[in-house]
Amino acid sequence: MERTLQVLNKLERDGVLRRYAISGSMGATFYIEPLLTFDLDIIVLLLETQSELLTLAPLYEALRAKGYAEEGECVMIEGVPLPFLPAYNALLDEALRDAREMPYQATSTRVLRVEHLVAICLQTGRAKDRERVRILRDQATLDSAYLSGILHRHQLEGKWKEWTA
Amino acid sequence: MDRLNPEIEKLLRAKEQRRTLLAALPFHEKVRAVVQMQQMAAPILRARGKQVRVWKLDPIPAAH
Repeated sequence: MERTLQVLNKLERDGVLRRYAISGSMGATFYIEPLLTFDLDIIVLLLETQSELLTLAPLYEALRAKGYAEEGECVMIEGVPLPFLPAYNALLDEALRDAREMPYQATSTRVLRVEHLVAICLQTGRAKDRERVRILRDQATLDSAYLSGILHRHQLEGKWKEWTA
Repeated sequence: MDRLNPEIEKLLRAKEQRRTLLAALPFHEKVRAVVQMQQMAAPILRARGKQVRVWKLDPIPAAH
């Protein structure tokens, strides 16, 4: 996985994407017990295009040129399938902006803050997100003031109350 | 409400402690645990018709 992260870092340095961070189950695994997953979810801030359409096409093209092929909704990079999700709303934009630099062996990477992972679960709202919020509350250290700010800004306070009642 | 058998309570407590220990592992060790889980789960999922791919692990750096 280290080589996978090195490829992502290079894409960012080369300006193919503006910023990336690990999200989803692997993002959560930074803070809690390991969770079974087969994908490495990546949120990306793409380069601005004239049409303002969020398109992954330039990213996919750059990866194809490096020999990394698409497989379904993922791109296989150094043996790890990566689904890329563009930051498509204000919560994801903020999560990506505030993501933390973390080391993975000798390579630096970026991971969403645990409070944003909680907020994204609340916004997504599936049964498995609810279970993840339970585990994150149970095992991770949440900054409650920071989390309150996120919940307020993104109108998620009601859902939080409902899920944590 | 029925009380749990003390032996079962002990087992559940130990399980909870193990989860706490796992949560405190360094990230690269957690990734190894995820890949081990993938190796265990992949045959079951494939038998159910789900296409999954077990990740390639980075080689462990040689000890000096």
